[in-house]
Amino acid sequence: MSRLVGARVPRVEDDRLLTGRGVFVGDVRLPGLLHAAFVRSTLPHARLAAVDVTSARAGPGVAAVFTAADLVGRAGEMRLGAPPTLARPAYRALADDKVRFVGDPVALVVAASRALAEDAAERVEVDYEALAAVVTLDAALDPASPPLFDDIGTNVLYREHREHGDPDGAFAHADHVVTLTFRQRRQANVPMEGRGGVADYRPATGELVYHAAHQNPHALHVELAQLLDLPAERLHVRCGDIGGSFGQKAYVSREDVAVCAAAVALGRPVAWIEDRSENLLAAGHARDEELTVDAAVTADGVVLGLAVRMTLDEGAYQLSTLPSTIVPTIVRVLLPGPYRIEHLRFDATVVATNKATYVAYRGPWEAETWVRERLLDVIARRLDLEPLEVRRRNLLRAADFPRRMITGPTMESVTAAETLEAAAALVDLPAFRDEQRAARAQGRYLGFGLATVLEPAPGPPDYGAAIGAGAAPRSAQRAVARLERDGTVTVLTSQSPHGHGHQTTLAQLAADRLDVGLDAIRVVHGDTRYTPFNRVGTGGSRAATLASGAVLGAIDELADQAMRVTAQHLEASRDDLELRAGRVQVRGTPAAGRTLTEIAALAETLHADTGAASGAPPGIEATFDFAIPNGGWSQATHCAWVAVDLDTGLVEIVRYLVVEDCGAMINPAIVEGQIRGGVAQGIAGVLYEWFAYDGDGQPRTASLVDYLLPTAVEIPTIEIVHLESPPQGPLDFRGVGEGGAIGAPAALTNAIEDALAPFGVTVTDQYLPPTRILELAGRLA
Amino acid sequence: MSSSHPVSLRVNDRRARADVEARTTLADLLRDDLGYTSVHLGCEQGVCGACTVLLDGAPVRSCLVFGVQADGADVVTLEGLAPPGGLHPLQEAFRDSHGFQCGFCTPGFVLSAYALLAEEPAPSDATIRAALAGHLCRCTGYQSIVEGVALAAARLAGRPLPAPGTAGRSGGSGESGESGESGESGGSGR
Repeated sequence: MSRLVGARVPRVEDDRLLTGRGVFVGDVRLPGLLHAAFVRSTLPHARLAAVDVTSARAGPGVAAVFTAADLVGRAGEMRLGAPPTLARPAYRALADDKVRFVGDPVALVVAASRALAEDAAERVEVDYEALAAVVTLDAALDPASPPLFDDIGTNVLYREHREHGDPDGAFAHADHVVTLTFRQRRQANVPMEGRGGVADYRPATGELVYHAAHQNPHALHVELAQLLDLPAERLHVRCGDIGGSFGQKAYVSREDVAVCAAAVALGRPVAWIEDRSENLLAAGHARDEELTVDAAVTADGVVLGLAVRMTLDEGAYQLSTLPSTIVPTIVRVLLPGPYRIEHLRFDATVVATNKATYVAYRGPWEAETWVRERLLDVIARRLDLEPLEVRRRNLLRAADFPRRMITGPTMESVTAAETLEAAAALVDLPAFRDEQRAARAQGRYLGFGLATVLEPAPGPPDYGAAIGAGAAPRSAQRAVARLERDGTVTVLTSQSPHGHGHQTTLAQLAADRLDVGLDAIRVVHGDTRYTPFNRVGTGGSRAATLASGAVLGAIDELADQAMRVTAQHLEASRDDLELRAGRVQVRGTPAAGRTLTEIAALAETLHADTGAASGAPPGIEATFDFAIPNGGWSQATHCAWVAVDLDTGLVEIVRYLVVEDCGAMINPAIVEGQIRGGVAQGIAGVLYEWFAYDGDGQPRTASLVDYLLPTAVEIPTIEIVHLESPPQGPLDFRGVGEGGAIGAPAALTNAIEDALAPFGVTVTDQYLPPTRILELAGRLA
Repeated sequence: MSSSHPVSLRVNDRRARADVEARTTLADLLRDDLGYTSVHLGCEQGVCGACTVLLDGAPVRSCLVFGVQADGADVVTLEGLAPPGGLHPLQEAFRDSHGFQCGFCTPGFVLSAYALLAEEPAPSDATIRAALAGHLCRCTGYQSIVEGVALAAARLAGRPLPAPGTAGRSGGSGESGESGESGESGGSGR
């Protein structure tokens, strides 16, 4: 019966995006629109002695210039609400007493055009009293370093100690203890479209419409209302097409607050469209973490337990809507992954530095996989075992489930071991080892690396509990389905897709249930006036399960109402009716029936409840709430083959393979696109991308000339093999948004270490540009 | 600084004129004065390629060209690749291969791919990748884009690539948004 679900259906979105008729936030044009430009700090750490905007205010076309003082009473203090164990400094949309990173917004200029706003911004004179910048983890941990926030008094904002099982016992029984310190570097999300918003304030009604590019429009709505002290019902957040995000457009930013406050103050619409320099400097960075790991290992390579000390550099201004502590928390919870690791000690520290804000980036907890999979390879090398064999000795298998991870989540229907075995069957390892030996004899260095990923997509209910109530907003998701007068169906979702193709996938689900074509379904998202409330829109690999469940539930309910109306009209029994090709008809007498268009008209006078005076409203509309079911794990094994050139330090990815199991696929082309895009980002983090600051806190990579994104020449073909395991339940769609980005750094660094094995190399720094490769191989002085 | 210069050009086979400052880029002229919002600005320094348009038939990064330099020129933006309501064979191929995700980098890739196929009707994958190396995409990992170009080439099978605005199946699904009219209404500055 299923026709669209499971097929590579072309996307509904593409006709508009491929013809240049998408509407991104920078395309919003309003009468009287003004344009914003921010004056940003050029120093990483300084007191603001004076900000003189006199000359800027007199600039041509300038409508207004705002400093922190001008926004007092217009924009409230921003401060994270929880957790209490994290020091949570308060700050303003515009810097008031101090600046704390290069790019810190100091003033906001609003003018007739962006060019005029930038001209005037250059006329703002800022008098800085420079302070020593806190740049490195060591500096941040040093009690003598100047605190970023005077009232907090320290740059160490959080320390947590947790134990699961009996780590002391595990280390007491270990034959070997392997200790390594792993370092990941700052990366920027770099969506091709930067952040932005168009604030349209209407003084006559007191309404503020904020056109935004955002993953979580409802959260933005709620937070903005509070910060601007506007009644929430007067606010309206609208998202059109969004040019990517990867975790970056997920919060209420200081710029959002300042721009909305400016629009309210001026009574005119104001557009803020971030340029690339602002995006790289100030939109947030991720992955800046160090993990020291002790592994208790038996002589056979079985990992008994782990002890981890993780330090995260959250930059200067912590997000006001997402605590950075969620990252070490999820790293702790997921660290055992699909392996039988029974004992864990985990110490987490979060520090502040004079750098841009730490934000989520696709697979924010990727360190758990990278560190674990790296460790397994190091253990293999020390014990002279194949990395594949070490994984086999530690992996949980079908017979082990259900069970609980020592950190809490229930593991059910986990097929990580199956992905590893399927990958192993596709990889002729003995033949590769022969080839590798022969190549080494000729001075060519080939390597092979594996990584197995367990992805909560969205994970079981107790996964949310394990990472903490504050960090995991209510997981139940709502969808609304409405039968329109023309017989089409409008589906409203709380998702806010930005490249994910939900207008296609959710329509595929709805269309199949109603036995209609894709063009009979319209999926509406991203508009807080119409779409169901949820603080989380699109993110966390949750749409495939949660949005799908909600949409299918709403469509089933809509179909039921349509049947009841038809039954009443035809004086038939609802049970004798069936839905075929968008038509409700009497089973066995297809001539007796009504089309959805006819039913929509009938439903304006008749109602779905045959009890005459029930007071049911006219029309057909259904709402359904869907909560996280059990299971919810996606998994994959990544394999990378590399050739390392020790003359240039360049790493060529000879082959890349992903074997994954995400349950049933709604649209395999979209699944594969998610995986490949994630893998590309993971590769980029190893070979190309590091948002670097110098020792004084000045950014070194603030343009795309210096911050290197890989192109079509650098990213290889990525082979994907889908495993189809028995369905976990009636709804067996699971997410794949993050696994690609999570698995790739591990597989690739493992392959590189394998290639460099003759040099006794242990890779502990994830960023491996050519100079680092040559250094590791002893080819640089 | 703010003295303006009249510029006359053809955009998507329509006459257009605007008065622009000397510093106004072709990208800003097309987006802000003429309403061709398919011209996407991803970096404004010639790295990302999203703002690519065809200028007298050749792909250029419109953020690196001044508006006054386009005086008298013939410009094609993505809005003009197929007739209104239709898809150029290249656009069809990208749709069928799920070439793009968020769609922001798309306009530049499509126009550079057009320029490639106009010159080389049957490029190898390596040639396609090299030809598109001046464009950044953050969503796809590029494979589906390369497949889209190869699919278009295979379908054309040596037949000439239809010129902008001349060919394409009519009757796209009409999912156009609020800016649906922008491609058909070049004009002087607003």
